[in-house]
Amino acid sequence: MIEQLRYVRLVVEEIGQAAAFAQDVLGLEPVDRTEQIATFRSDFRDHTLVFSKGIDTHQSLGLEVRYPADLDDLRSKLGSLGIAAQAGSPQECELRKAKAMLWFEDFSGNRLELVVRPMNSGWRYFASRDAGITGLEDVIIRSTSVERDISIWCEVFGAKVSDWAGDAVYLRFDGAHHRIALFPAERAGILAVEYAVENVNLLMRNYYVLQNRQIGILHGPGRRPASEQLFLTFAGPGDVLFSFVSEGAAFDERRIPRQFPAGKEGLCGWGSECKIPEFGGNTDGGGRERTASA
Amino acid sequence: MIRLQDISYVRLGTADLEGATNFATSCLGLEIAFQTKDSVYFKSDQREHTLCYFTGSPADQTAAFEVAEKSDLEAAAAELDRIGHPVRVGTEKEAELRRVRSFIAFTDPTGNNIELVWRPAYGSRRYHGERDAGITGFSHIGLCTTDAARDEVFWTKVCNARVSDRIGDAALLRIDEVHHTIALFPTNRAGIQHINHQVESGDDVMRSFNFLSERQVPMVFGPGRHPTSSARFLYFEGPDGMVFEYSSGVRSIADELLYRERQFPFGPKGFCEWGAKPQIKEFRN
Repeated sequence: MIEQLRYVRLVVEEIGQAAAFAQDVLGLEPVDRTEQIATFRSDFRDHTLVFSKGIDTHQSLGLEVRYPADLDDLRSKLGSLGIAAQAGSPQECELRKAKAMLWFEDFSGNRLELVVRPMNSGWRYFASRDAGITGLEDVIIRSTSVERDISIWCEVFGAKVSDWAGDAVYLRFDGAHHRIALFPAERAGILAVEYAVENVNLLMRNYYVLQNRQIGILHGPGRRPASEQLFLTFAGPGDVLFSFVSEGAAFDERRIPRQFPAGKEGLCGWGSECKIPEFGGNTDGGGRERTASA
Repeated sequence: MIRLQDISYVRLGTADLEGATNFATSCLGLEIAFQTKDSVYFKSDQREHTLCYFTGSPADQTAAFEVAEKSDLEAAAAELDRIGHPVRVGTEKEAELRRVRSFIAFTDPTGNNIELVWRPAYGSRRYHGERDAGITGFSHIGLCTTDAARDEVFWTKVCNARVSDRIGDAALLRIDEVHHTIALFPTNRAGIQHINHQVESGDDVMRSFNFLSERQVPMVFGPGRHPTSSARFLYFEGPDGMVFEYSSGVRSIADELLYRERQFPFGPKGFCEWGAKPQIKEFRN
């Protein structure tokens, strides 16, 4: 039912700083910019990242479905789970460059948006910085009720569980190992927006670029045991994290989901330092700092 | 022409044999092969030993290379004698300790102690490290040179090494298909500049970066990737200031006729394509 990830819309205090981060740190290509909104391209999609101020009340994740009729179908299925979904207004659709839209909140309170015919770019992606981004890869979401939120993804959207790490779950709906990961948390919210980079060289070059710019690296560089992705997770505007990821295994449809350990153990096979509480990391500055020779 | 077949082992003096042994096993991940009262021999691959720490001066360092025939030893001794490098023939007892049939010892023009060995022993039992560092074997050394041009001539004209690339005046030399087995780094002393062990994958390099960092082993360069050999690397400091390297993915040069050495800048960009900056004296201006 879900075709693909489309965008993340984040509410920020200060558009200028957030936009500078998107361009200078992530190296994304600026698309639209007003006093209230800044949008960025990372691939064939018109935009995959939006920073807004004074328009949206909540951050949201955008997913593409194929036909307007799918929206009606999803609305009734969500209704049977007790979730009231609402159609997006023409103005909301226009802002998202989509033909039709349905939105709702999951059991944790994360706002999910389903859009039909969102705009692709006729021009290829041209990065602001040579970070080697090839596209929006996956999004990690906080969940206060993983079991119930899984029911939305699997029963309504048709996603499948690829693997577990503790109570966290990796969900797939195309060939990738996962497009969504739900991590147990005390509140709702997007935990990390993850962009794929070409290869390990780009990931590690970005590591040193980030170190030189004194961007807080919160996890990695490392490799995830479940997806075999290389990752580097760092602080972004507000409380949303961003990651560069690379490599990773395609899902083998013949196998069943595997259970990996909770926390750092299950999230990195290299033993990298972790400062993300939802990942079982230290937030008190504990743990020895790694000093790569940047 | 002295035909070097492979690098065999390094011998390092130390004032603290116990400390060095502890580092070699629990940090570096080597396996103790055998020991005597004042020396410990370590295994890193199928060979009986590839590293020896002995009680002595840390400045007393030796690198050994294997030759194919006993006659190669005799020819090498004659050639070295002819060009004015005194040669010492190892005693039977010394040879036995090194697990070789026979060897000769001499110094290169900088004064580095070199041994040529014939029939070094291979083990029947495979290497099993003290920790899972993923080591596949002892692979190359950096050697100090006080005159890069002079020593390059010695290793390429008197011996059979070929230049694979240069970083500034530092020549990376191959004696087989492996991009380099000897690297000559200009400095003001004689000695072994670094000791390399290959590991299975880039993952192993990164795991060791975290493992050794947690144990406060000083990281002196990397994690990074060499633009010359394409290997992913990590350099860290061991006992007596010796620099050790793990690397993976070194380039192989199969076509001797078509390959041309390249010149890279002597600076961070010549040493790393990821942006790591070396804290190693011989890698800095």
